[in-house]
Amino acid sequence: MLQQLANGVLIGCVYSLIAIGLTLIWGVMNIVNFAHGEFLMLGMFVAFWGYALWGIDPLWSIPASAALLFLLGLAIYRFAVSKVMKGPMLAQLVVTFGISIFLANLAVLLWTPDFRLIDKPLLAGTWNLGPLQISVPKAVASAGSVLVSGALLLFLQRTRTGKAILAVEMNRDSALLVGIDTERVNALSFGIGAALVGIAGGFLAMYYYIYPQVGGLFGTLSFCIVALGGFGSIGGAFAAGLLVGIVQTLAGYFFDPAYKYAVVFLLYLLVVWFRPQGLRGW
Amino acid sequence: MVKISLAAAAVLLALGFPLLFSGPFPLHVAIVTLIFAGLGVAWNIMGGYAGMFSFGTAAFFGIGAYTSTWLSTAHGVNPWLGLLAGGAASALVAAAIGWPCSNLRGHYFAIASIAFAEIVRTHFNNWKLVGAAEGLMIPIRDGGLRVFQFNQSKAPYYFIALAFLALALLACRAISRSRMGYYFRAIKESHELAMVLGISFVRYRLAAIMIAAFIAAACGTLYAQYVLYIDPESVLILSVSVQVVLVTMLGGAGSLFGPVIGAAVLVPLSEITRAQLGARGTGVDMILYGALITLISVYQPKGIWGFFAGGLPRRKRPAPQPRLEPSSPGVA
Amino acid sequence: MLNAKRTLLLAAAALIALPALAENPKVIKIGAVYPLTGNIASTGLDCRRGAELAVDIINGKYDLDLPLARTEGIPGLGGAKLELVFADTKGEPKNGLGEVERLVSQEKVVAIIGAYQSSVTKTASQATERLHIPYVCSDSSSPTLTQRGFKYFFRASPHDALFARDQFNFLKDMEKKGQKVKRIAVLYENTEFGSNVGKEVVKLAQEFGYELVADISYAANATDVTSEVGRLIKAKPDVLMHASYITDAILFTKTFKEMNFRPKAIMTFAGYIEPAYLPTVKQDAEGIVVRSTFALDLAARKPLVAKVNELFKKKYGTEMSENAARSFTAPFVLAAALDRAKTTDPDALVKAIEATSFGPGQVIYPWEGVKFDPQTHQNVFARGILVQIQKQQYVTVWPFDSAAAEPLWPLPPWGTN
Repeated sequence: MLQQLANGVLIGCVYSLIAIGLTLIWGVMNIVNFAHGEFLMLGMFVAFWGYALWGIDPLWSIPASAALLFLLGLAIYRFAVSKVMKGPMLAQLVVTFGISIFLANLAVLLWTPDFRLIDKPLLAGTWNLGPLQISVPKAVASAGSVLVSGALLLFLQRTRTGKAILAVEMNRDSALLVGIDTERVNALSFGIGAALVGIAGGFLAMYYYIYPQVGGLFGTLSFCIVALGGFGSIGGAFAAGLLVGIVQTLAGYFFDPAYKYAVVFLLYLLVVWFRPQGLRGW
Repeated sequence: MVKISLAAAAVLLALGFPLLFSGPFPLHVAIVTLIFAGLGVAWNIMGGYAGMFSFGTAAFFGIGAYTSTWLSTAHGVNPWLGLLAGGAASALVAAAIGWPCSNLRGHYFAIASIAFAEIVRTHFNNWKLVGAAEGLMIPIRDGGLRVFQFNQSKAPYYFIALAFLALALLACRAISRSRMGYYFRAIKESHELAMVLGISFVRYRLAAIMIAAFIAAACGTLYAQYVLYIDPESVLILSVSVQVVLVTMLGGAGSLFGPVIGAAVLVPLSEITRAQLGARGTGVDMILYGALITLISVYQPKGIWGFFAGGLPRRKRPAPQPRLEPSSPGVA
Repeated sequence: MLNAKRTLLLAAAALIALPALAENPKVIKIGAVYPLTGNIASTGLDCRRGAELAVDIINGKYDLDLPLARTEGIPGLGGAKLELVFADTKGEPKNGLGEVERLVSQEKVVAIIGAYQSSVTKTASQATERLHIPYVCSDSSSPTLTQRGFKYFFRASPHDALFARDQFNFLKDMEKKGQKVKRIAVLYENTEFGSNVGKEVVKLAQEFGYELVADISYAANATDVTSEVGRLIKAKPDVLMHASYITDAILFTKTFKEMNFRPKAIMTFAGYIEPAYLPTVKQDAEGIVVRSTFALDLAARKPLVAKVNELFKKKYGTEMSENAARSFTAPFVLAAALDRAKTTDPDALVKAIEATSFGPGQVIYPWEGVKFDPQTHQNVFARGILVQIQKQQYVTVWPFDSAAAEPLWPLPPWGTN
């Protein structure tokens, strides 16, 4: 039971890292990035190619994943998302779907649908902590996720740009009033959001298999997590990620593994019905 | 005048299609197109008109398909009756899920619909009564219209699909012109406005969801009787729901014929590119698809219908509000 | 007068032309439906390669005991060559239907092979049954395919009920060697393939008198399987039977190691024999048993296997895999039937396929050959073998009379080899 809880927390931390990127984008721009799973996939492929071509372990290529995804996020914002900001809600919903289909299949074209695995990662094996067996790569990924989330919070709360982002998140019009360039904030947030999930991809690549459609389930889960946590709330997203990880694992262990994701989705529905703004949203 | 003759031409083409293209493959493409057009119309009632953007249409499509198929294979119920039962079941489920979701907005509603549809899929995937992951197979039977199965030619399926679509369009049109339609547009514009006008929007939202669910379920039964095999992977997955949204969006959400146009473009595009390019195994058709969707959302969110109705797209002007426009970028 | 001259000239021209016509052998098209894009496109590619090699051998002149290998093309049809027309199903049942119809109506194929995924084969074969076109399948394993009473559908390869039974027979044989087994756990991915296997195992466990201690199904694309493995550990089985695809095979192997799950034996279906599995998990897979129809070490008792593998390696640069080996058979069945029927007429072709009779030396598996049951159209000689991963190779361990080595039992502890 304790082991399952531990596992839940471990996978939950990775979910959290994926989710905070999404919630940042959502909070700032009110756009659900349905291509978030594909950003994760790209982050994983950066790690993979770094390993396959130059022997760089995924741990060290994480900054590259972050940087490349940041740039991609900026580009996607500039060329697609920014143009639908003033458009109808449906366009906002669908544009990132289109991007997600495009990216996943571009990956198929470029890298074949074969899945890949990093077979000799630096971090492998298991730690035995008393009665618990903790997988080393998962533990490092979780620690990394906590660190990155912490860094993000610091950035948002302590730096000028960060505070500008928070301001736009809280109230777009007031932010405009005080002269904040909301367009720049949007672009930055999209880029940072993408970078964050790119980092998650780098961590995940240490132990999970990589292929063009890998973003699917992770993506769907991250939407639920973010909505659970409340749109825009970084802390909420983090907590919700952990919650989902734990619920998923315990449901799989005690109830039925075939239904474990259904339980997560049911949880989402229940929370959203009784508290539509999520756990900590506004 | 132009409009009427265009419409007449379209109707003639639709009716004469099986004569012009009598091979099984073109008819197959046409039938799938019509089914998706029907699903798109169903979605449009909920989404295009009433503003509830669902990414869970597959759930109702699947419930319809499964209900009629299970009733006919396990209990010998005639598929036409099964169709009605499927529609009713779908509508009931829609009401049950729609009521608590009825005051969810935009993104939350969309995600809730995804969550709901995934729960349905997982359940059917594990439900032994309906074959779980193996799905259900409909035995080949003679009898034509009576048993809703045609083995000699596809043309009857085509005409039935066309009839379904026509009925769905009529329903959509009737709703749009009725009081309900007026209220839908109000709800879509703004919750606040709807509340001010004192409309019980929960009731109308539910109505929209139930009607959409019924139509989607009917399409599900048609699909099942056509392909003669259903399983969760083919009728209940997210990509079916997404396809329905994209088809409607491309054609023009909120316009009557939008879904038909969208389906008529996207389905053959996808089938033909798969036939031409797919054999090389590189997914180029899906890349084009994704790019097309993105471009449409960005440049012509009103869809293809938008070209006919409103000419070239104009940037929507922001509502006049007291606010300071920043005079130079990058102040922060 | 003029008319007669003209007619004579025409007749002469025709007579001259005739041999020329006869000298150009026709091309006979066969439709091949496989998942060439999508999640299991690499498997689709494997299948494609197997089928293509078979057609190469039929069309060319090879000194092999395979049917029609020593002749070029189909002698009974004037040396006509076979041509495979591939279509991508993307793994979706409705595309099985659509592509078959397109192949038959537009490409004018005379028969169909494919489609690997049983759910797609179901719809594809329903299409051929309605269109009255023969369909020879040698790569889909759902038992239900040959339980439908179809006239035009044939299956040359074994199905999951047979494979599952093999595994239980193996356990019984191991008991005779003194290895007792009581508790069985079954784990399977929750699509058509996995749940079929799960169902069979549950049935057979009861029939063979074993205690089923866990019956767990899971989503193949799960992000994490620690809860599934947790349940397995709690159930304490002697033997785990696992039906999976390649990605979940890898994930589970890693998680088994992580959580130190070590029953006496792990017996598996499908995913563990995909070419990419072993290079990825390496020594962690030691001792795992997989059902198969084909193994490279059969070459020891059947030189034909080595020769075919050589051809495969020369053409594709890699060893022949299980999936390629299975898809390899269908073209031969069709070619032999075309030769026997001397026509492409579907009903005559069906009769000819029903009369198929390959001997043990004419197939690359340890079967008695190919002969179809008149009722179900299932190859009665199809059977599986069990291979075990030993020192990172697939080694045939059962049936004992085809085995290349002794089975390793129980599973070695983690980290050896």
